[in-house]
Amino acid sequence: MVTVRIALRNIARQKKRSILLAGAIAFGMLVITVLNSFTAGMVENVRVNFSHALGGHIFISGKQLNDDGEVINQIHDEQQLSDLLLTYSDEIEGVTKRTQTIGTFIFGSKQGMQLIYGVDFQEETKLLDSLTVISGDLTKLDQENAIVIPAPLGQRLGIEAGEIILVKMETISGQQNVGEFIVAALIEDQASFGISAAYADKGYLNYLLGLMSDGYQLVNVFLKDVDRLDQVAEKFSHVLIGEPKGLEEQSAIFGIQFEAVEELAQPWEGVKYSILTLNDIMEPVEAVVTVIDAISLGIFLVLLLIIMVGITNTFRMVLIERVKEIGTMRAFGMQQNTVKAIFLLEALFLGLFGGLAGLVGASLVMVVLSFVSFSQVTGLQFFLNNGYLTFQVSVGTVCLTFAILAVMSLLAAYLPARAAARLSPIKALGSYH
Amino acid sequence: MPIVQLKDVKKTYELGKTQVHAVKGVTFDIKKGDFISLIGPSGSGKSTILNMIGCIDQPTDGIVSIAGQSTSGLNDKQLTTLRHEVLGFIFQSFNLIPVLNVYENIEFPLLLGKNRMPKREREEWIEYLVEAVELTNFIKHKPNELSGGQRQRVAIARALVTKPQIVLADEPTANLDSKTGQTIIELMKKMNAELNTTFIFSTHDSTIVGIADHIIRLLDGRIVEETHKAEYNETAGVSQ
Repeated sequence: MVTVRIALRNIARQKKRSILLAGAIAFGMLVITVLNSFTAGMVENVRVNFSHALGGHIFISGKQLNDDGEVINQIHDEQQLSDLLLTYSDEIEGVTKRTQTIGTFIFGSKQGMQLIYGVDFQEETKLLDSLTVISGDLTKLDQENAIVIPAPLGQRLGIEAGEIILVKMETISGQQNVGEFIVAALIEDQASFGISAAYADKGYLNYLLGLMSDGYQLVNVFLKDVDRLDQVAEKFSHVLIGEPKGLEEQSAIFGIQFEAVEELAQPWEGVKYSILTLNDIMEPVEAVVTVIDAISLGIFLVLLLIIMVGITNTFRMVLIERVKEIGTMRAFGMQQNTVKAIFLLEALFLGLFGGLAGLVGASLVMVVLSFVSFSQVTGLQFFLNNGYLTFQVSVGTVCLTFAILAVMSLLAAYLPARAAARLSPIKALGSYH
Repeated sequence: MPIVQLKDVKKTYELGKTQVHAVKGVTFDIKKGDFISLIGPSGSGKSTILNMIGCIDQPTDGIVSIAGQSTSGLNDKQLTTLRHEVLGFIFQSFNLIPVLNVYENIEFPLLLGKNRMPKREREEWIEYLVEAVELTNFIKHKPNELSGGQRQRVAIARALVTKPQIVLADEPTANLDSKTGQTIIELMKKMNAELNTTFIFSTHDSTIVGIADHIIRLLDGRIVEETHKAEYNETAGVSQ
């Protein structure tokens, strides 16, 4: 206990020096905590916004063969899927059913292709909440032929909200069809994350595609516990595809699947399913986050290295300043290891106090930032929660950071501590000579 | 059996390329409970002998025995344990731990080592020592809030707290005015009488030499005169 007492009081003894060192450590802790919490919060926000934009966490698409042996993208009269959703009803928060197609948007002399989702706007309120409107008004979606288009497409075509646009598409039986839509709103595009879609009323789109008004091509499932996503998707895959998820998964969700020659060559009965999950889509986002985390860790380690040099130099000075004290303590019977322990404890406490201060500082920074609205900043909306930054502090990461701080502080003070311990009492008590 | 025995002890230092013979074959015995003064001019070897008795330095040649145990061949850990169990120190410049208050400074040696005194007993013993050195009103003061005399009294209490058999004091009055120095020596003498602790102190101060039971006079690393109190009183004033 006397070692702890002396170590703590030694920290308080040189207040300015201790504050400077602890402040440097605190700054490192603040940077790493804020960045890590920001990226964790960002991933969560992107995950939530993605799930709203895509209408679920698990995305099930289906293909069937028509009487002529042609592949059509639809899920129709499928008892197997209904039974499955019923079986897992405890895990499921909600189900959305969508139609999709790629349409050619024609406005004047200009054309542009775009994925269109047919959705039930009455049901998918979360989708509407997640859309960032650049111009126009989502309330206009009550019109049957209203459509929401990504702003880049609108700019390319030179169209504005309220104007009429023609969309050419292929029906499920392969016929060309043209529909007339009124642009309700232009929304922020997330093409960089693989999501760039226009949204139209499902009933109207079904009519244009030749589907029944209540028909659908995608069944999207919201889970109650997103952490169970992979396990549930695995079970779905087992039931619907008959093999582990991954073998059959494909990118049909975000584009129209073109008929493959081998599919025609090997006909099948009923619906052939594909399953994709939010986690699959999140992979590029998580890769970006991993890079950001690695950069922040690099910054933290560089800061820590600089701080370590500071700690080592400080403790070298401390050793010179306290030579006589060390000699006195040794004369009274303090063993070498105890002298070393005092120095190491001092460094450890400095590291932990600095870390704690950094954590408090980081909390304040995060609280302040979470009250600042970024809703006017374009391009950020998918990272935000209703226009606000959110931070997720990971207890594990904080503990790990503290452990790194502790180890680094101990390492930085080790050589001066060892030199202090090895100091012979006769040299330390120079006044004896 | 003597509590301290020095047999033909020599100490040589390397000072650059020069060899300094600080102690050149010193032999003497000290009895338990004695109050001994080592006197002599600077460089006569007083501090070197105290260091060797205090187990913070080893002789180049000869034998130093403390409480019947030769210090030769002991490693750092054993010497440290011996210091803790047998010796107490009083320094010229007090050497109190600045971050500890009076009570904590006195208590400090008791918290080292393996055989700890029970808490209640420890508190009573420290309170007794604080009272004996008349610092009851300063118990919570830090060293920098005390006068030189008060600091040295703390140092005396600290030196005695482990109930050592020997207390070594190197010029304990050198940084004090003569009146305070006299008080400190009298306090040491009082504790010597009360606790039967052997005190060995070095000094230049002729006025405090007379209080010693046993005087060893050194010159150039050799004993030039060794007197016991009765003899010294007869030749008082000559030794300086």
